[in-house]
Amino acid sequence: MAKHTLGLVYPRAGRNYTAMQLDFIGGVAEAAARHDYDLLLSPGDTADVPSFRRMIGERRVDGVILMEIRLADDRVARLAEDAFPFVTIGRTHQADESGWVDLDFAALAAGCVQHLADLGHRRIAFVNRSEQLFRIGYGFAHRGLEGFTSSIAESGLTGQAYHCDDDASAGEACLEQILRDDPATTAVVTTNEAALGGLLLGLTRTGRAVPRDFSVVGVAAGRWAERVSPPFTAADIPAEEMTRVAVDLMLERLASPDAQPRHVLLKPLISLRASTGPRRQLSGAGSGEFDLLGNPGDHQDLGNLGEFGEDF
Amino acid sequence: MENGEAVSPAATATVSLQGIVTGWSEGARRLLGYSAAEAVGRAAAELLADQESGDSDGRSPSGSQERGGAKEWGRAKEWSGSAALRHRDGRRVETALHAYPSLDRDGGVQAFVVSAGHVCGPDGQDSARQRLALLNEAGMRIGTTLDVVRTAQELAELAVPRLSDFISIDLLDSVLQGEEPVAGPVDADVVLRRVAHLSATEGAPEAAIGLGQVDTYPGYSPPARCLATGRPLLSSTADPDVVEWLAHHDSRSSTVRDYGFHSVMSVPLQARGITLGVAVFARLGDSEPFEQDDLLLAEELARRAAVGVDNARRYTREHTTALTLQRSLLPQGLSGQAAVEVAFRYLPAGGRAGVGGDWFDVIPLSGTRVALVVGDVVGHGIHASATMGRLRMAVRTLGDVDLPPDELLTHLDDLVNHLTSDDADLTGDLGATCLYAVYDPVSRSCTLASAGHPPPVVLLPDGTVGVVRLSPGPPLGVGGLPFEAAELELPEGSLLAFCTDGLIESRERDIGTGLDLLCQALATPGPTLEATCDAVLKAVLPDNPVDDVALLLARTRVLHADQVATWALPANPAIVADARAQACRQLTAWGLEESAYITELVVSELVTNAIRYGGVPIGLRLIRDRTLICEVSDANSATPHLRRARTYDEGGRGLHMVAQFTQGWGTRQTPTGKTIWAEQSLPVG
Repeated sequence: MAKHTLGLVYPRAGRNYTAMQLDFIGGVAEAAARHDYDLLLSPGDTADVPSFRRMIGERRVDGVILMEIRLADDRVARLAEDAFPFVTIGRTHQADESGWVDLDFAALAAGCVQHLADLGHRRIAFVNRSEQLFRIGYGFAHRGLEGFTSSIAESGLTGQAYHCDDDASAGEACLEQILRDDPATTAVVTTNEAALGGLLLGLTRTGRAVPRDFSVVGVAAGRWAERVSPPFTAADIPAEEMTRVAVDLMLERLASPDAQPRHVLLKPLISLRASTGPRRQLSGAGSGEFDLLGNPGDHQDLGNLGEFGEDF
Repeated sequence: MENGEAVSPAATATVSLQGIVTGWSEGARRLLGYSAAEAVGRAAAELLADQESGDSDGRSPSGSQERGGAKEWGRAKEWSGSAALRHRDGRRVETALHAYPSLDRDGGVQAFVVSAGHVCGPDGQDSARQRLALLNEAGMRIGTTLDVVRTAQELAELAVPRLSDFISIDLLDSVLQGEEPVAGPVDADVVLRRVAHLSATEGAPEAAIGLGQVDTYPGYSPPARCLATGRPLLSSTADPDVVEWLAHHDSRSSTVRDYGFHSVMSVPLQARGITLGVAVFARLGDSEPFEQDDLLLAEELARRAAVGVDNARRYTREHTTALTLQRSLLPQGLSGQAAVEVAFRYLPAGGRAGVGGDWFDVIPLSGTRVALVVGDVVGHGIHASATMGRLRMAVRTLGDVDLPPDELLTHLDDLVNHLTSDDADLTGDLGATCLYAVYDPVSRSCTLASAGHPPPVVLLPDGTVGVVRLSPGPPLGVGGLPFEAAELELPEGSLLAFCTDGLIESRERDIGTGLDLLCQALATPGPTLEATCDAVLKAVLPDNPVDDVALLLARTRVLHADQVATWALPANPAIVADARAQACRQLTAWGLEESAYITELVVSELVTNAIRYGGVPIGLRLIRDRTLICEVSDANSATPHLRRARTYDEGGRGLHMVAQFTQGWGTRQTPTGKTIWAEQSLPVG
């Protein structure tokens, strides 16, 4: 019997949901409401968490949307076993039991490398999520690294990957490590939003101005990326679209349980803001001439901004 | 004055700048015996009794012209004095002479009008002196300005009360409009507009027609008759035609009755064969009726006023023409762009100099950018305005091609050189300056270049104000010298002030001082741009501006992150689908799903082109402003051609399709390559 309720299983990143996670929760709730469905939220990260067990065992919901998917995820296994309708935001190794929507982290990381390569960067570091999340088997941490590594290899560039905990001080320490390992590094790709502030601080500490001397690019929530200083050039995570698609897939699944599950892989473009620029030539000449679509960060390089002269 | 010889009929002649008599009145014939046919064409100097002395004392108008070669009203002084002329029969005639210049349509002196009065025996000398004094004063007091109404007032002030108790001056409407009036006398019923009247009694209660009002004069009325014949007319209110006229005109008959009008002179105002209007002199109550001599004097005063009115009329006409031209060439609404908020003022030069060649413009450019232009063509009048129009159109055209400021000025410079060499009228003296600025509300950058034009002043939102330092560059038309562009980044809400030298430069102060004043004025802006415009003019405008003045204020706007989205695109054909999807995602966020179909198509074509033919890095930008703009940039500056598509040629169809589906498309060069843009109108609602 239809309960017109969907379950959202979404573990907290720490003690609280992050702003990004709240965007996802809000997005799912809103998309569900548009179809007259209510939402039941469980923070379960494994199949043993009581709230998850109640949601499934007591069939409190018509279907479940799972988030923070690991490559091997016992929640997915349990739901498949019980033939409980579900879709995932993210995907497992097999990634074919159910419908899913995911970001193409491998392609995003590769796109970041490509963007930096187009700007002339040759020595690039990758700042991934924490080693712990990586070991637990979060898909985005693994696929991001794969994309970075293969793209560096294909482009014939020099690249080094690092794990970094989700906080600013870890970011700063990581940046110091990167420059110790290869002082000629001129750019970083990062999927670790929480560490970005620390990375930028570390760059300032070592006298590197972004984007003049050093470029940083990655994946982030768009609204957040706009407010960082300098605004962060990044592929914006399309939370609204992902949640809308997830609910659509869920409802498709409920309407036609036997249909072949649909998979949606999104690959947002890198939004040009102000944290990347052309690799600075040592001679300095002509380095500031690059004007890619009027990126305000580039204009700061144009050198003749002092035209106001002593009248000011 | 019993026999009318105290003062001979006012004798008037016109003398060309070369000293040749070109006009000869009946009064002149009576004074000196020569008929017009005999006198016209002769050297004026031949009329002097002592030709040598006449020339040597330099008082002869013709002599002064030959010597001075004056070309301007201001320098061609009026002149009064006495001279001995030679009568046709050889006798000496002592005369009082008065000369004043007559202007041509360009404001230059085309001839002198010389009037002479015969100074005769002691018995009539007092009256003669009085009349001569009046004539003399007429020379000084009528026609002091180039204003039609003022000239009429001057005639009135001179005539009342010394010659008449009441005077009215009515002009044909066309004269007041500065239009070319009909040549020759005016027939039948005449419609005239009252421009001046004056009475010995304050407030001129005798006037039947209010100032500025129109009245129709029937063909038999004395004013209409004098206009028809071109001759002055002396009448009594008892004359049958006057009686009939008054009978049909209540207000007029009552004022005539109440104030005791009894003697009336109607004198046409004619100059250069053109009828301008009529002056009516009247005596009331106990005053003596007018005599024939009064009519001659009135005729002379009217002639004097008519020349003044005609000068003013011609000036009004040219001024109006040039102003119309100028106005038609200046921007009207300055709308169609959202990058800056603008306000402007254009003040034609007051007084004699005439409308000049100042102009300004606001040109919307691709990618929501805007060009701000101000320029100045040296000189005044229709020529300057016309040249200004050509330059302005040229700037518009070059701006549409989206040239950077320094390059645009180089092309404009070439054009001015061509104009100068092609147009004989402009040889050598087409001086022009121009300042061209491009403001980009996305990057907040402003790029400027100047061709000898005063720099703009900028007020930043934090209150700092200063002159934008940029290389002044050579004026247009010098040729061969480079123009340098300067770039500055402007915080949102910066206020730029562009002007022409008429605002900041004057005889009393140099440009630097003027710019300082402009800075001071701009430092305390008004609540609105319009108010700031007024305040700036009030504070900076020289007391007696001799040049025309253009002022353009622009407050910068910024397109915020929610109106612009920019992405980097790796040069990989697989990215095309991602770019399409991203564009749709963005349109969804903007609530513009309806535009998705065309946008996807445009993005596909432009991105495919860039990947295939362009250079990295490649970028995609969507702007949501008054229109939806899609731009793809790459690092290859080669501009694409609109290739003719063949059925099987997928690639070449791109731009054709873009052109068909969008409102407009184009390319522009960037410092590192090119941008191709396409613009769609936003869905309604």
